[in-house]
Amino acid sequence: MRRKASLILLALAVFFAALSPLMRWYAFPRLAKIPADQYQDMVLEAKDATLLDYGTMKAKKVDKVTIVQTLKGNVEASEKIEKTAGRDVVVWDGLSYVQGPDGKMVSKFPERYIFDAHTQEPVHATGEMVDGNPVKREGIEFKWPFLTEKRDYEYFDAQARITAPIHYEGERDFRGVNVYYFEQTIPWTKVPFPKIMPVEGITPESVAKTGTTRWYTTVRRFWVEPTTGAPVYGEEIHKEELRGGTLLGGREKVTAFAGHVKMREDYIRSTVDLVKSQRLLVLLMTSYLPWGFLILGAGLLSLSLYLEARSRRPGDPTPTETREPEPVSA
Amino acid sequence: MRALIAAATGLAVALALVLTITAMGSPAGKTSPKPLLTTVPSHP
Repeated sequence: MRRKASLILLALAVFFAALSPLMRWYAFPRLAKIPADQYQDMVLEAKDATLLDYGTMKAKKVDKVTIVQTLKGNVEASEKIEKTAGRDVVVWDGLSYVQGPDGKMVSKFPERYIFDAHTQEPVHATGEMVDGNPVKREGIEFKWPFLTEKRDYEYFDAQARITAPIHYEGERDFRGVNVYYFEQTIPWTKVPFPKIMPVEGITPESVAKTGTTRWYTTVRRFWVEPTTGAPVYGEEIHKEELRGGTLLGGREKVTAFAGHVKMREDYIRSTVDLVKSQRLLVLLMTSYLPWGFLILGAGLLSLSLYLEARSRRPGDPTPTETREPEPVSA
Repeated sequence: MRALIAAATGLAVALALVLTITAMGSPAGKTSPKPLLTTVPSHP
């Protein structure tokens, strides 16, 4: 009986001990992925910002500029790309909608971002675009890979359509969450006018005819939770200028937008809560379960060996054979 | 010999379990019917 129990315990010990590395290095990289149907919205605000009044073509101070950013997973498009890409793909249709203090649209900036669901590496396919123009992204955008490393990453800047390093600047504590802080500076760069302009009748083509150009610089900051690779907070010190041409009436340049863009407080709280819950799931697969299984396996193995040893102990009473009494002849 | 068979059984079951779970994956779901926002939401 003891021998049978020790064999069952041995099988269980091997089962759990094998499950531990399989879970961490085989199952986790294949199971951890961004869901293709994710929908997420975010509100950012730039208080006391500078905004161009297209009526007077003069920059003015405004109380607040609001940016509503939506990311919507396009499942049909991702399934179509997966057939040729041969891997799990996520297609995010995004829109950055900028609203002035009067509630009117300042700009509208659509994007399609296609990336590997597991590694967050960009995947190039038809439809990948920024503001309607085809692009070929390099580097990450919006989200870091699972198990983010303490190093610089390449980050795609959609305004300038360029990829530049985003530097790892150290660990921080953000509202009780241990995060990695990243920062990227895009120097003054000439960028295209948005396809949809805030004033009716004005198009990028009509502005281009005046010789006026649009320039942009930004300092982009992200506080990234390293287990999930999800930013819990982000902000930008964003500046845009119009330079040269007849549109400015002889002026060299005019500020189109300048502001310190930050996430709205209620969105910070909800993002931190969401990331904390997701972090637990990732930790379960990368740490809690593998370690738990390993310890359980070791415990079961010890118990199995103990039972085996007891069953072989020489001092144990061995079952005695009962002999039939021999008939005694008189 | 019986110990070897027990260990091999444990290993085989672990492999089968992990391979099955990873092969099943997770369902892709459906594209959200919610629109890309052009108004400021009052809350997340």
